[in-house]
Amino acid sequence: MAVVERIEHLEELWLERPGVLGWLTTVDHKRIGILYFWTTIVFFAAGGTEALLMRTQLAQADARVLSPETYDQLMTMHGVTMIFFFIIPMTTGAFGNYLVPLMIGARDMAFPRLNALSFWLFAGSGIFMYSSFLIGEAPNAGWFDYVPLALRQYNGGLNVDFYALGLIFNGAASTIGALNLIVTIFKLRAPGMSWNRMPLFCFALLAASLSLIFALPALTADCIFLELQRKLGFHFFDVAHGGDPLLWQHLFWLFGHPEVYIIVLPAFGIATSIIPTFARRRMVAFPLVAMAELLVAFIGFGVWAHHMFATGISTATLVFFAAASMMVVVPSTIQVYAWLMTVNLGTPDFRAPLMFIGGFIIFFVIGGLSGIMFAAVPVDQATTDTYFVVAHFHFIIFGAAVFPLLGGIYYWFPKVTGRMYDERLARWSFWLTFVGTSLTFFPMHIVGLLGMTRRVYTYRHGLGWDAYNLVETIGGFVLAAGLLLIAFNIVRSLRAGELAGRDPFHGGTLEWTVPSPPPHYNFAVIPTVTSAYPNWDARAREADLRRLERGELVLDGGHETPATTVNDAQVTEILEMPPESPWPIVLALAVTISAFFLLTEHYATAAGFLTLAVLTLAGWHAQEPGEA
Amino acid sequence: MTTATLPVRAAHPKGWWGAVIFVATEATLFGTLVGTYVYLRFHNAHWPPPGVPKPPLLTPTLLTAALLLTSIPMYIASRAAGAGRRETAWRATTAAFAVQLVYLVWQLHDYVHTIDVYDPQQSAWASIFVTLLGADHLHVLVGVLLSAWFVVRISSRLTRYRIVGLQSTAFYWHAVNVITLVVLVVQLSTHL
Amino acid sequence: MTRVALLVLPLVLAVAGCGGNQNTLDPASHAERSISNLFWVMFGVAIVGFAFIVFLLFLGWVRREQPSLPGGRGEAAATRIVLGFGVALPIVLLSALFIWSDFFVVRSTAAPAKGSTALTIHVTGHQWWWEVRYENSTAVTANEIHIPVGTRVGLVLTTADVIHSFWVPELNRKVDMIPGRENRLLLVADHPGIYRGQCAEFCGLQHAYMAVEVIAQPKAQFEAWLAHNAQPSARRDALFAENCSGCHEVRGTTAHADVGPDLTHFASRRTLAAVTLPNTPKNLRDWLRDPQHVKPGNRMPNLELSDADWRALQRYVESLR
Repeated sequence: MAVVERIEHLEELWLERPGVLGWLTTVDHKRIGILYFWTTIVFFAAGGTEALLMRTQLAQADARVLSPETYDQLMTMHGVTMIFFFIIPMTTGAFGNYLVPLMIGARDMAFPRLNALSFWLFAGSGIFMYSSFLIGEAPNAGWFDYVPLALRQYNGGLNVDFYALGLIFNGAASTIGALNLIVTIFKLRAPGMSWNRMPLFCFALLAASLSLIFALPALTADCIFLELQRKLGFHFFDVAHGGDPLLWQHLFWLFGHPEVYIIVLPAFGIATSIIPTFARRRMVAFPLVAMAELLVAFIGFGVWAHHMFATGISTATLVFFAAASMMVVVPSTIQVYAWLMTVNLGTPDFRAPLMFIGGFIIFFVIGGLSGIMFAAVPVDQATTDTYFVVAHFHFIIFGAAVFPLLGGIYYWFPKVTGRMYDERLARWSFWLTFVGTSLTFFPMHIVGLLGMTRRVYTYRHGLGWDAYNLVETIGGFVLAAGLLLIAFNIVRSLRAGELAGRDPFHGGTLEWTVPSPPPHYNFAVIPTVTSAYPNWDARAREADLRRLERGELVLDGGHETPATTVNDAQVTEILEMPPESPWPIVLALAVTISAFFLLTEHYATAAGFLTLAVLTLAGWHAQEPGEA
Repeated sequence: MTTATLPVRAAHPKGWWGAVIFVATEATLFGTLVGTYVYLRFHNAHWPPPGVPKPPLLTPTLLTAALLLTSIPMYIASRAAGAGRRETAWRATTAAFAVQLVYLVWQLHDYVHTIDVYDPQQSAWASIFVTLLGADHLHVLVGVLLSAWFVVRISSRLTRYRIVGLQSTAFYWHAVNVITLVVLVVQLSTHL
Repeated sequence: MTRVALLVLPLVLAVAGCGGNQNTLDPASHAERSISNLFWVMFGVAIVGFAFIVFLLFLGWVRREQPSLPGGRGEAAATRIVLGFGVALPIVLLSALFIWSDFFVVRSTAAPAKGSTALTIHVTGHQWWWEVRYENSTAVTANEIHIPVGTRVGLVLTTADVIHSFWVPELNRKVDMIPGRENRLLLVADHPGIYRGQCAEFCGLQHAYMAVEVIAQPKAQFEAWLAHNAQPSARRDALFAENCSGCHEVRGTTAHADVGPDLTHFASRRTLAAVTLPNTPKNLRDWLRDPQHVKPGNRMPNLELSDADWRALQRYVESLR
């Protein structure tokens, strides 16, 4: 059989269901990645709009553009949206889903239908959360929703119920996604891809996913307690009946701190993908970097109370958490220097993706330095809950998580679409975004030190804050312009970009060995990996070609991909992947409807829809891939 | 055709790993629930609060012991299925399922009474205790549904999919049994 | 390097004293000075560290044609740099910082032990005002805390409803006010003056306009103020009793309530609505007639009174000196 015939056979086997129905029932990791991408972009736009509205209100002292109630909802939803509906699903759901199987040489994720479920649950949770705006009762107690303010006594509407139920719902979607990524990375790596040959991007996603698994339960428990107290009169957080308001904070931050590493680790992964490609050499101190990524996630579980330094906890507690918070800096500095050394040792080509990484390094260092200041307890106690901390986390979240994302969008755009973006426009978009980010967030350091507290819908004139706020607002619009320019570049290039070919940047990882865009089955022959930069390993790729000609490791007996051992990636069995399935979207629909009934206290009906959801699992598992 | 030349090694299937990660997240959830119980305990001089009767000892201990014992038939079922012995696997699963079902029904019946007597609307102790118990029963319910599913599916034939599913379910059950034991210990600790 | 200086200069100018009087870096107490000094040292080191990173990035760009470090060095040297600057140096610097800030400076900002201060004041947070009670005195006021200058004053902080946070940046760090807990804070003002503070934990609709003033006075003046505020009022008013006494207390009258601030000596306060507006006749007029416009969502309802009644009520309130 000639190579051409083998490929035709694979194409037939992996033919996708056409049209909208195909997208609704897809289990293909690339399609799911694209679904995640566009959905999270919509939420990014929503969160950005919320921010611009807030900044418009804050541009001047004592302004009355927005009422305090509207502002509080926008402020809360901005945080909730950006964290739970934009950055996490974008990095893990869009980038993770699309790229991990390609980078590890697999044909799909370990559990394709579960993958679809994680997307549809995520979409359902987003619809649920945003429907709160339709009745003007969006969550309004801040993204960390402290009690007692979040209790029924002080917040009688549905706002907090949307928040708690929405996050439980969203958390389930994220947990499922994380589980899938972990098992995929453990079990589906191509033959020969031992741990030391796995791309750093995958290490980053593994660290982020493991963190999600161990961090989300704390948030879920917290939200369950909150709803039980609000809806059924249980007592967890009120002192009068033996509860404690700080319980909410401990559980929240037990989740909340690992969460910020979950946010930033995939961004590190993107940076460590772009740098070797554009520096045209392998990453310096690769094993140190891989270990640092895992270490950040691990140590990140031990620092949570540094968000509570002003609550009156004991000095011993303060000192312990300050120490742990200082420790977590070191794995980050290792990575920063490894990146910089790689750039210096290489011959960097400063095209748009690398420019965004340059911006990322600058912003990450600024955010990291202000972060270190928070580990000095007395300074934390002065600057927490002020605009100084708002500056810190925006430099980290926007500068260190979003910038690599933007670079990554340009970097992988050719792979996903088969076309090149416009380089000149991309560079302009970098500068505009860089200047906008700096203008928006840098003055916040100053105004925070001048005494401006956070979460204020307005401020008094005469305190010296007016000019900075105006600059920040202008910066926000400049930033928005930069982002719109990126969007324009992407949309225009989708149609008019020149054809990219398989490997426009000569990247080192496996996704660059397949056509752009990749065929449904990803790899015509399952690659055999002998190095950490397989696309630079010409001998191994030629050996793959020989195998393709011989029909070895083509795995065209069905929808097949190999499962391998966890450490050395030796083949253990051939897995059969399921075809499209309606069950994930049906299940997600049942859960979404159930959430609305829980919200409105129709418990029996909610239970009914949840039962329906459980029943769809029967249909799901009755269809066994690989069995006659 | 293409797979014949592959050197294949024995290893845990991906479904098993999925069960492991799922158990990790649920165990963490129980960790936070028990942690909350302990945290609130140190915020209260009297725990349970005065006037609240202490939870019973005998029935929960006996029931939990019975549930723990079902790990044995689940283990047998798991091994038998892996070796292709369908009948043994089915009998063991059915035996386990029977005991698990009885456990669940009995516990749910007692649970309704528990909520009445301890009244979570009166104290943080009752709130966390009732929540912890409820979470455990919910996880047992899921396990019972899984066992029931395999009682049905394995009655006809074994496929790779069903074998891995049963083995993953067995793993899940071992975890739930451990968690149930921990919950029992918390319940018994009120008598210390 | 000039780029860095251009960034730094406005920052230094901005915070070193030309802001309003809520400036963390314009300390008026020993505690705040220790925080401020710690900040400046960290900032200095941070600038150096940041400059080095920018330099390395710049170097990478300038030397982008050369596949080696300066001097022809290669991967071994690069790895040494990663270990040296990425592991060893941070460990050294962070250890030093940790010991200085979290063993030494933290003592300056620690909560004062019970009974270790000359004066103790109980401050209770409410949505959206501050209740102030002086220990060993019947003096009660709201939103304005007088203290004798140069004296150790201990605040005992708690809340009547949700979590608030007491923060007067020029005098000390912030401390949260948590239901069921009493947290303590030390205030020692170096010199007389008015020190502005603000609630620093989101507490609902009017968190933004929940400010406080700490007024440090020479001891004699403070004692006089305290004695005066301990006095009940000699004046009572029927309109007030009918419309306001449900929420507001005026000691010495039948108006006893603690939903809103004690108004016994309201007219002698500098501001109203928790330092939202100066306490002038015009502002008082606006506030009384339409509190929901001044501070939307606050707990004081808009009442329907006749113009004559409003004027009489205002006269009474203005008499509560």
